[in-house]
Amino acid sequence: MFDGFLSESQSRIDKLQLAAICALMLLGIAFVYSATMVTESASSAPWYNQIWIRQIFWYVVGLGAAIAVCLINYHTLARWALVLYWGNILLLALVLVVGTVRFGARRWFDLGFFSLQPSEFAKLAFILAQAHFLSRPEEEVRSPTIFWQSIGLMILPFLLIMKEPDLGSALVLLPTGLAIMFAAGTPKRYLFWLGGGVGILAALFLVDILFAPPGWWTIKLEDYQRQRLLVYFGASFAPKNASTAERIKAAEQERTKSYQVRQALISVGTGGLLGKGWHQGNQTALGFLPPGAAHNDFIFSVIAEEKGFVGSIVVLTLYGVILFTGMRIAGHARDRLGKLMAVGVVALLFSHVFINIGMNIRIVPVTGIPLPLLSYGGSSVLGSLIAMGMLQNVYIYRKAY
Amino acid sequence: MLIFDQLKKNDPQLRIIAVLLLCGLGVLVAGLWWVQIVSSREYQAHLEMQSFRTVRIPAVRGKILDRNGIALAENRPTYNINLYLDELRKPFRAAGDREVARARAVLKQQAEEKQRQLNRKLNKEERKQFVLLLRDQNALRQRARYEVASNVVAEISQRLGQPLILNRTNFQKHYDQSLALPLPIATNLSPQQIAVFAEQCTEQVGVDLSVQSTRFYPYGTTAAHVLGYLQKDDSSAEGEEAYFSYRLPDYRGLVGVEAGYDKELRGKAGVKSVVVNNLGYRQTENIWEPAQPGQNLLLTIDYELQRKAEKALHIFGANTRGALVVMDVHTGDILALASSPTVNPNDPIQGISPEEHARRLDPVLRPEINRATQENYAPGSIFKTVTGLVCLEDGLDPNEIVNNPGYYQFSNKKSKHVGDLAAPGPYNFYKAIVKSSNTYFIEMGLRSGIEKIIRMAKRLHLGERTGLRTQQENPGKFPSLERVKSDWYDGHTASICIGQGEMSVTPLQMAVMISAYANGGTVLWPRLVDRIEPVDPASSAQPTVFEKGRVRDHLGAQRRSLEILREAMREDVLDGTGASAEVPGMPAAGKTGTAQVMDIHNRTTANTVWFASFAPYDNPRYAVIVMVEIEVNAGSGGRTCAPIAHDIYQALLERERGGTNHVERVAQAR
Repeated sequence: MFDGFLSESQSRIDKLQLAAICALMLLGIAFVYSATMVTESASSAPWYNQIWIRQIFWYVVGLGAAIAVCLINYHTLARWALVLYWGNILLLALVLVVGTVRFGARRWFDLGFFSLQPSEFAKLAFILAQAHFLSRPEEEVRSPTIFWQSIGLMILPFLLIMKEPDLGSALVLLPTGLAIMFAAGTPKRYLFWLGGGVGILAALFLVDILFAPPGWWTIKLEDYQRQRLLVYFGASFAPKNASTAERIKAAEQERTKSYQVRQALISVGTGGLLGKGWHQGNQTALGFLPPGAAHNDFIFSVIAEEKGFVGSIVVLTLYGVILFTGMRIAGHARDRLGKLMAVGVVALLFSHVFINIGMNIRIVPVTGIPLPLLSYGGSSVLGSLIAMGMLQNVYIYRKAY
Repeated sequence: MLIFDQLKKNDPQLRIIAVLLLCGLGVLVAGLWWVQIVSSREYQAHLEMQSFRTVRIPAVRGKILDRNGIALAENRPTYNINLYLDELRKPFRAAGDREVARARAVLKQQAEEKQRQLNRKLNKEERKQFVLLLRDQNALRQRARYEVASNVVAEISQRLGQPLILNRTNFQKHYDQSLALPLPIATNLSPQQIAVFAEQCTEQVGVDLSVQSTRFYPYGTTAAHVLGYLQKDDSSAEGEEAYFSYRLPDYRGLVGVEAGYDKELRGKAGVKSVVVNNLGYRQTENIWEPAQPGQNLLLTIDYELQRKAEKALHIFGANTRGALVVMDVHTGDILALASSPTVNPNDPIQGISPEEHARRLDPVLRPEINRATQENYAPGSIFKTVTGLVCLEDGLDPNEIVNNPGYYQFSNKKSKHVGDLAAPGPYNFYKAIVKSSNTYFIEMGLRSGIEKIIRMAKRLHLGERTGLRTQQENPGKFPSLERVKSDWYDGHTASICIGQGEMSVTPLQMAVMISAYANGGTVLWPRLVDRIEPVDPASSAQPTVFEKGRVRDHLGAQRRSLEILREAMREDVLDGTGASAEVPGMPAAGKTGTAQVMDIHNRTTANTVWFASFAPYDNPRYAVIVMVEIEVNAGSGGRTCAPIAHDIYQALLERERGGTNHVERVAQAR
């Protein structure tokens, strides 16, 4: 029966994917509500200040933006790719100068009613630019010049975002860029060497952070980034030659730093098979999951606590549907540009999902990145819905009309 | 599957990417399965540890009643005012914020001043010293919390008209260690204070009244030794949940029946769980397991008789050192068990004053020991009844005459003779009992031999505990058959014959002995507790009833021997040393005694005077033992103890005659 549905002539948009997106947004509303309406002060706030209402607002705005994106043929979009790319690079540079500092990082433009996080949009501009750049014939893509240029295209926003600092957002650019390059037909040996090089660098970097004797040159990382890595690898905060007082202080720090991860794990773990029921999770209600983070980066642990393993699998399945319909869109795309755009969006979405859920169950270190479509936050919601719009765009214009 | 269609397409790159996606999602599913399914229990434990606190709630202690149902130990509600810190969180935070803001403002001003001095902007390093450190913030918030709480306490204090002070250290300690529990600020409120509080303080946030059950002994010192007393002890009893985050105050019996039947009286503590938030404040609480109240204990003691016995025993005032036992000769029921001087069992709960504490430690008075069961004394002449009985059983003719020269001279002339307070002259058995002749009983005792006396003492179970579960019994001592095989001379036997030397007894053992004479030779287990019954009369639980007249042994004496002994004891009361014990309508038979307390140099330092008796003579029902410790020659069994026994027999007579009145009094007392 899906054959008819899929016979391209009738279906203009990928309805299955749209359904999954809508389902995730509904979950998002329900669990942002559950994560925030736990204190009296939160539930007695005026409705327009309630976080879940705001989330609905951003969903509406985001859907509008996605529809707008769909209306313009992606070829037209791609023509503006470099303009958008450089515009975003400019914004990233600007945020380092005039951005507001929160939690020790300069990532936001304060627009009064809303803080804009340019890195969310820079990722999309990067996908568009990279896809556009590599959409040239495959023979050209094989040339080293193109390879190095596409690396450059990736490294520039990476470094700017690292500088904010926002390690998580910067890191997701790498798999996204590599996936586009791979799909574009960049020779495997280049990618192999690139992957190997990055791997070795990453290993050296970790060894340096974790085991460097005092006095050695170490990579400059913000304290909290270093600590997050140390927490993840269970290493001691104290330098090797630390005094007892320093060690005690370090142990104390370690405890507070590993707090979020531990609480998230407890939330997820106590969910069990079926969970405690919507709005019944006590980790949030009792304030063990930090109220500032529960509806943001740790929304997944709220879902996992309240809906259990079954709920987690439902969420994963919905993402799986989006990812694989995305891959199908890539396969059905009219041209290389469409395919690469679709692959880029899928890779970006996957990286976000993997890193975010992974940090909730402690298989990746804590890096503050949101769970697309579910986490609260204007920039994140807007960015992910526009990304979905890009995917649908490729689907809609898969035939030359 | 339709979504995987593209995998079949001829695009190897997309296929590889799809496979990688699948692997990635697979890793997440596996991770979630591990965390949520496999390790779920472990995380559940973590969660409980951080968000649940268990509180031990002590059960209401069972009552202790006399044989007529008069409560000798009960529980009274006492009212406390508690501070509920979780309800004060808002004011705590507000006050903390104010303090921090004020401190910041001061620092800011200082920084500006410094800028003006230097006439330039401060650099980063210099600015650092004007930043409020987290540690200082915490200290300020801590102080703010204390101030908020102490203002509330001051408010309550003013309303109640009672100075209440919230100690800063205690407050901080409570905040750090038992935040989930209320903090008591006023305990043991008077009825007026309760009324004032209920009327004026209900809208005050964060304070509330709480009721606590407190042990109370309505008759103070009456039967204090039998009842024993309690000690603060909130540890878990056997078979109880062993781990608690917090324990509410509870008590354990230390001595007396409170200790002996502690398990039954105590009931089973319950468990309350308190859910706390990440700061440790109480969020909600519920009872996991309600406390099961303890059972009631019905004693054989008769309150009225006990009270009269204690009064009678105070022959030299409240500091008289002595003991008194009234026992039913057929059932073994202890109707009264008095020891003087005494203590008030309410004291350990309500607080002991320094003077009282000193009195309790007085080496002579020793008010805490139960002299009826815990202290061992030489029985003196009252033991001549045992010697006499042994001789009668050995074939002694009670009418055989022994000439008393006023002392006893051993056949071995070198030995020192034993003096006899009885006048010189001819003595038969009756006269020897009445006049308490040492010579007669030494002569006759030596004739029968120590072994026979030991066998009789064994049947009386001298030197053994009588089995009260009051944890205040010392067995006393009596030589064994082994002991007399070597290094034992006639002098030793002579001492035993007259109740001195290597033996000691408790007044309760003497009551068992007299009962055996009176009831025809049955040695009973004394009975102090009649039954243990559930508090709720509708409960299906069966009361535990202790058997009456449990036989421990038989004297194995002929009826005739016992009759002769009883007759002689009756004569002692009719016209002997025990004459003042006689009560018309309650003819008593008894034996007086004066034992010498020797120091290590064999000098007499004090006397123990006795009157061991039973009544009525023709149909014995009661054994009454009176023992008083006196200075040397400050009294005698006849002069000191027999009048006390007189009062007891008088009381017993009234008790029998006034049976109906008594029931009415009990009804009123309830």
